[in-house]
This record gives sequence, C-alpha cells and structure tokens, in this order.
Amino acid sequence: MGDKETKYILWYNEMEGADFPYAGKKNSNLGEMIKAGIPVSHGFAVTIYANDQFLILSGIKEEIEKQIVSLGQVTYETAKQASAIAMELIEKAPMPEVIEREVLDNYKKLCDQTCMSACPVAVRSSGAVSMPGQMETYLNIFGEKDLIDYIKKCWASAYNTEAIMYRMNKGMPFLFNIGVGIPKMVNSRVSGIIFTINPVNGDPSKISIDASYGLGEAVVSGLVTPDTYLIDKVTFDLVKMTIGSKETMCAYREQGSDIVQKDVPLEMRGQSCLSSQEIKELSRIGKLIEQYYGKAYDIEFGIDADYPFPENIIILQVRPESVWSKKEATAKVEPKKDPMERLLGQLLTGVKIK
Amino acid sequence: MANKFMDPHDVPQIPGTEGWEEMYPYQYQFTKEDPERAAYESSQIWYYDGLHYPEPHYPFDLIWDEAWYLALSQYNTRHWLIPPAMGIDHRIVNGYVFISPVGVANPDDIPKRVPHFMERAGYYFQNWDDLYENNWKKKMNKVIEDLQAMNFTELPEMEDISVIKNGVGKGSGYELLKKYDKLIDLGLECWQYHFEFLNLAYAVQVTFFQTMEQLFPGIPMATLTKMSAGFDPILFKPDAELIRLAKLAVEIGCDELIMKPMKADELMKALAEDSIGKEWLKELERARYPWFHISVGTGWYHTHISWNDNLEIPFDNIRTNIKAIKAGKVLGRPTDQILKERDRIATEYRNLLKTDTDKEAFDQGLGLARLVLPYAEDHNFYVEHWFHTLFWAKVRQVGQILSNAGFFASADDVWFLKRDEIKQALWDLCTAWATGVKPRGPSYWPKKIDWRKGVYEKFTKWTPPSALGTPPDVVTEPFTICLWGVTSNVLQTWLKGDEAGGDPNVIQGSPGSSGIAKGKARVLKTVDQLADLQEGEILVATTTSPSWAPAFVKIAGAVTDVGGPMCHAAIVCREYGLPTVVGTGKGTQLIKTGDLIEMDGDTGKVTILQRA
Repeated sequence: MGDKETKYILWYNEMEGADFPYAGKKNSNLGEMIKAGIPVSHGFAVTIYANDQFLILSGIKEEIEKQIVSLGQVTYETAKQASAIAMELIEKAPMPEVIEREVLDNYKKLCDQTCMSACPVAVRSSGAVSMPGQMETYLNIFGEKDLIDYIKKCWASAYNTEAIMYRMNKGMPFLFNIGVGIPKMVNSRVSGIIFTINPVNGDPSKISIDASYGLGEAVVSGLVTPDTYLIDKVTFDLVKMTIGSKETMCAYREQGSDIVQKDVPLEMRGQSCLSSQEIKELSRIGKLIEQYYGKAYDIEFGIDADYPFPENIIILQVRPESVWSKKEATAKVEPKKDPMERLLGQLLTGVKIK
Repeated sequence: MANKFMDPHDVPQIPGTEGWEEMYPYQYQFTKEDPERAAYESSQIWYYDGLHYPEPHYPFDLIWDEAWYLALSQYNTRHWLIPPAMGIDHRIVNGYVFISPVGVANPDDIPKRVPHFMERAGYYFQNWDDLYENNWKKKMNKVIEDLQAMNFTELPEMEDISVIKNGVGKGSGYELLKKYDKLIDLGLECWQYHFEFLNLAYAVQVTFFQTMEQLFPGIPMATLTKMSAGFDPILFKPDAELIRLAKLAVEIGCDELIMKPMKADELMKALAEDSIGKEWLKELERARYPWFHISVGTGWYHTHISWNDNLEIPFDNIRTNIKAIKAGKVLGRPTDQILKERDRIATEYRNLLKTDTDKEAFDQGLGLARLVLPYAEDHNFYVEHWFHTLFWAKVRQVGQILSNAGFFASADDVWFLKRDEIKQALWDLCTAWATGVKPRGPSYWPKKIDWRKGVYEKFTKWTPPSALGTPPDVVTEPFTICLWGVTSNVLQTWLKGDEAGGDPNVIQGSPGSSGIAKGKARVLKTVDQLADLQEGEILVATTTSPSWAPAFVKIAGAVTDVGGPMCHAAIVCREYGLPTVVGTGKGTQLIKTGDLIEMDGDTGKVTILQRA
C-alpha cells in the first residue's frame, strides 16, 4: 500500500477505512463500504497529496505562507483577510499539468463507464480529520473545465474564515490539505428508503422499502405517496406490495444544482417503480448493511438510470434505526410448558373471523 | 357489504335438472322439512369445496366424499374429542359439495373434553413415529395388497368342476356380490386410515402457523412451508424414478431406441427384443410398482388415472428427460440444498427472536410441525394416488361386466350410478344369471343414465357460489383453517365477490409461490395435452401432480383451480422458483388458451389482460 501516499488519484474501490490519511475520512469510508459489499456511487478521490503537490508545483504554497505571516496576530478580522488571500490564490492558480492529466484521465474513465462525454459528478471535500460542515460540496458538476475549477474551489473551501478559526483554536497549522471525492451524480430513476425492520410494528423478520420516481427528496420529505414493499428478510420473498399514487418527482435542474419538481407521466403512476429483481437486490443489500453494523438501519438509496442492473443500485446514506431499537424486548407469545399445552391453547382460541 | 351469504335453501334450481337429488344420498340435501334441521342449516357457514372438487360430482365418485365425511368428522368428535370442534357437515347443491365446520353446541362441554383430548392426542404424539411407521404403513399396505389382488370377471356359463369337487358350496353370483361389497369396504377402510393422523397433523399446522404469525406478523405461508417441509417427500419419487430411468437409458445405450416415435406397447416389445433394452425394462418394472401408481390428477375423480393405466405418459416424460440430459441439463431435486435451505431459514428466524419465551414457542411449534410432516406429505400417495387409481380400475371392471350384459352403453356409464345402485344392478344381473332369464337392467339403466348425463352436463355450466349461510365469529376446526384457508380475509373476499360488479377479468386464488409473471395462458385439462405447451407460457390447470414435472422447466408460471399452499404444484413451483397461484376454483373455465394474463404469486391475483 506504500505507493498510495504518492498518488494523485485513488478510486473508491482501491481504498479501505485506514486510508483516510491519503484521501480523507469521507472518501476512505466509502472504500470501506465497498469492501463490505455495499454499493456506493462510483467514483474516485483526488488525494491529499495531490492538494499538497498543487500548492507546491503552482508555487502558491510559499506565497500563502509569506502573506499569512505578514498578517500577524490571529483575530476574526485577520482570519477573514487570510481566507480571502488563500482562497483567491488557490482558485486562480492553474492546475499543474501532471495533476490535471491524472484527474481528467480518470474522469474520462468514469464517463466511459456510463457512455457519456461529460458525466455529472459531485465534488465533495473530505478531510483527514473531521471538521463537520466547514468545507464545501458541489453538486451536478460536469465537463473537464468545471471539474478542475470546482476541485480548486473545494480545496479553497478549507480556507474559509470559520475553518481557519477552528484550526487556529485547535492549534492546528494554517495550511490544510484535504481530499476531494468525485462520485458520479446518481441519476436516480427511482429512489427511496430501506428499513431493515418493519417500521410499523418493529418486526425484525421483514425489510420495508418505500420508493418513488426521481430523486429521494420526494420520498424523504413526504411529497408523494410512494410504493411500499414488505419483504421477508430471510427468504427475500415479497410479502406485500402497495402501489402509491406517485404524482410528482424531483430532479436536478439541467446544468444546475437546485431541485425542481415534475409530473410523473400518468401511465407510470399505477406501476410498481421497482422491478422484482431490484426489490430482491435492495433487500439483500439492506440485510448486508444491518449485518455489517450489527443493528437495524435506515438506508437511503437511488437506482441509477445510467447503469445496468445490479450496478445501478446505489446506497446514498445510512443511519441506525432509532425508534424500535430503543424499545425493550418483550415476549410476543404466552409461555406454555410443553408442545401439547401450546396445541391445546391454539385449539381453544381458534382463528377469529370477524 | 352484506354480512351473510345466500340462505342455502334459496339456491335456485337449474331448469331441466328437476329431480337431480336422486343422484346423491338423501342426507346431502338442504331441506326445510324439519324446522330444526332447517334452522341449523341456515345458521351455519357452508363453503363450496372447490379445493377438492372443481367439477360437479358423478354419483359414484361421491364415495370418497362420504368416506371423509365419516372419517374426518369421527376423529374430531369421537376419537380425539378436539375440545371446541365437532365434525364437518356436508351438503350437495346442483352437483357441487358444500361443507361446514360444526362447533361444540354447549360451551360447558368444551372443558370436559380437554382431559380426554390431552390423553388421547398425547398418546399419538408420544408414539407418533412408531404408530405411523410400524402400524399405519402396515395396515395401509395390506389394504392396497388386498385391492390389487381383486379382479372382477364375467359370470361363467357353468360353475367350474372344482367348485363341485372341493365342496365349495357357493356360487359365482354370490361371490361377485360379495367381492363388490369387499371392494367398497376396502375403500372405506382405507379412508379410515387416511384420517388416523391427519386431524392431529392439521391441528399441529394451525398451531405452528398461528404461533409463527404471532412471532413474525405477516410471515408468508411459503416461508413456513420452506421451514417445516420434508426434503424428500414420497410424492417426488415418481418423477425421480423417471429421471433415474432416463439417465440409465443414456448410460447403457438404449436411449436412441426409446426416443423412436412408437406407442408404449410397441416400444416395450422392441425393448424386450433388444439385449440392452431388456435390462432397462427390468428397471422400468421395478419403478412401476408402486411409483407409477401416481395419479395424473388429485385422484378424487375416476378420470384421474395413473401412469400404469396409460404408459404413454411416463414414456413421454422419460423422452423429455433424455433430451434434457443430452442437452447437458441437470435434472432432479437438489435435496441436500433443500435441506440446508430449510435449516438456514429456521435458524435465521429463530435468531431474530429476543426472549427465551419466544424462542421456546418457536421450538415447540417447529418441533411439532416437523414431527407430523412426513405423514402429512406422504399419506396422499398411499391413498389418493396408489389406492384410488387401483380402485377406479377395479370399478371399471365392474362397469365392463354390466356393459357386456347390456346394462350400459359403455363401461364408463358405471360412474353415473350411486355405489348402492351398482349393487342393485349386480343383484339384477346375478339373479337373472342364476335363473337363466333376461335381467331388467338393460331396459332400466340406459334411460336413467342418459338423463343423468344431461343433468351432469348442465351442472358443469353452473358456477357454484363461494359460500352459503351465516359466517361464524371464530373458526376452531383445524382443517377449515389450514386446508381450505378459511379466514376472515377469505370470507370478506367471498362476500365481495358474490355481490354484483365483481370484475370478471380478475380471479382470486391463494398465493402458492412468490413472483409475478405475464404471458400467454395455456389451459390444460389433462396431462396428455402437455405436448401443446410452449416455452414461456403460463400453465393453467385444474391441478398438477408429479406427472406434470416436465412442464415446469418450460413455463413462466402456473395457475391451478385446486390446491392450497401445501399442494404439489405450490411446492414444486417454489423449488423451480416459478410464480404460482393455487386454488382459483374456476381458472380453467374463465381463462382460455391464448389469453394474455398476469399472475401474482404473492397476492394470489390473476388478471386477464387481453382475450385471445
């Protein structure tokens, strides 16, 4: 693994959790999930080393250091000035050719996978130490020029005023190189949520899936009545399916990163938005995630229209289930001293008709 | 929505069938002649037994209905004293059998029945394997052996000299009458044994299902059967034998001879004359007894003959298997894998439980279910397949004798007589034979049979309602719950369906095997039509039996009129991963070959999308 520290690019599927010093935590976590068999969006990381080399080769590393020293005492005001200087230098400096070629070659590989000339991607910052919410993420970026510009914007975002203050308060150095994740934007034909239990009654033998057309926002924010599926967690047989009305769907505005609503064509509303093989595969992945983390999970997924099954299933976000996991387990049946007593009890109860 | 079905006394008579009641026993009629009985009939739920009887009853074939009316009911009521449940009552309306579970009338009697039940059922559960393996199988084999040995032959012109010289002292007419009684008696005896374990087995299954439902709400029936199913039930043996014979033929090199398009009897002759073929024939004969005594249907109707009755069927299947083997396909059930999967499912489910009480209940339920399973799965082969197909053949011999004597136009008219009427006809024949005069039969029966055939034809065009009478609050009778799946959902569906405005293109059955399929329907009434089946079609059949095995590699799904989630079609289709809907009642009548249909094996819904 030694050569990882001098690589500009690491694909998600080349990484594992321990690689965070090279690519940042968010990126290496994605690598860890892929290793566990959890399909996340295809993509690669521009390494922390690439960020460092960019500063060196473009000659702005010295320039920044020189200018920062001249600002003197760290206050909010000086941090603001330092931020403006650093961000402008980073955004304006040309990308060194060796790095640019690496980035674009790999971007082309990603585009080729989806047979697109300019595949939309997200550009996400990923620090080797957690700095929650302090750096930028840009959605729906495509084309070589924009990609390079936004990678630089991402690097620059490590020097926003809050981030600088945070580092100064923690006694961390001023210069801060970060990894950048370049995942393909999930072109969600369908998206939704998997619960690895039945959320209605907490039954752990079921997997529940809510799904509707377009981006996940429609389901998550309750904009539509989604299709709901209940699946046997052990056999993956579909137990129950309810078709929702699914009148609208969310999508990214073309060439923009904001979300717009569209009508779902009438003939698609009455159909199940997931195929039976997709339902089965989502269930399998849901169960895998539950086993991986050792507890019930709530999982957001998208089905990417740009890939064939099963590579089209992409896990977007996972978090532990919070309602039923907190309840104490109580017996669901009456205790009976032996099988005969249980049989008798059942015969005397019968099965209610009304 | 209405909360009652039509009163059983109000079902309209089909014009032109007046007097149909003479075709069936008198106690099978709904009648108001006794106000007490009439009030009882109106207060009960009567549901049409489409599970066993997709077609109206031939007067003779009702023997098996009477046999189980007696046997099932007596075991609930008089043997085990199932605390809250008495027997299942039977009626017949326009040729179709309706049945009704009867509860214990006085609730105070229920606790009194409990200690008896615990002692009696407890004894059987404790000694289950021994009673089944060493007692039941012995009795059943004896009944079958006696039946097999029985042959009905023409009355002789004169008694053989040995009758005189051995001082026999009895005549062939008397022997014929006695033998007929013996034949009927063997049938009834066989049906007594059929239920020796079955009521308890179904009580166990209800307990198993209900316990699991409490532990895992909405657990699919398919999962429950996968968890408890036997991995090598007898019903799969016949198909396994055909695969074995096909493999053997390829191995020793008589497959090319078998593949030649010849009738079964010609082929058997050709094989006997071939040195390799001769060896193969020996193995065929070994397989035939008993495995070719498998019925082409459920065994309930005389039309359900066995492979031994028509060797073209197994030969066709063997040819299909040979073709598949040569194409490199792997045939047969992966029993190791099925067993592993069964244990994986059970273990994973058990591990989901969090309390010891729940785990114990799980073990109790599953333990019972697995104890009774071999019997629950295998008894059908002995009774409905082996015994029944032999039995129908013997009755056909009786029909031939009466036909030869001019009583019938053909031997198959025998099915239009009640079994007691056959006895009367035999008396007519024997006394006339003894006396040396012409019997009345030839002028009496043909007219009656013609009329009955006309009535029967009208019955087949009538659609029986799903249920009659008044639904109860609680069902306690194990068969009603388990075998017929009578639950609140089902009754609600029936109540809805019987009201006007039901969509004629939607047919509701029970989920058999998971999955959705869309395709052209192929309606097959009998197994010899299998050759018509095209790749990717949805098979629509009355029922399927192991005889249909070659079909399952071709089809996209199956829909059957008859059967519950435990039936052969459902079990096989789950193994083949084919979507299946069972127990639609009238699928083969409402769907036509070539219709574009969609079927959902999870909900049991079949929709006709486009008529051919």
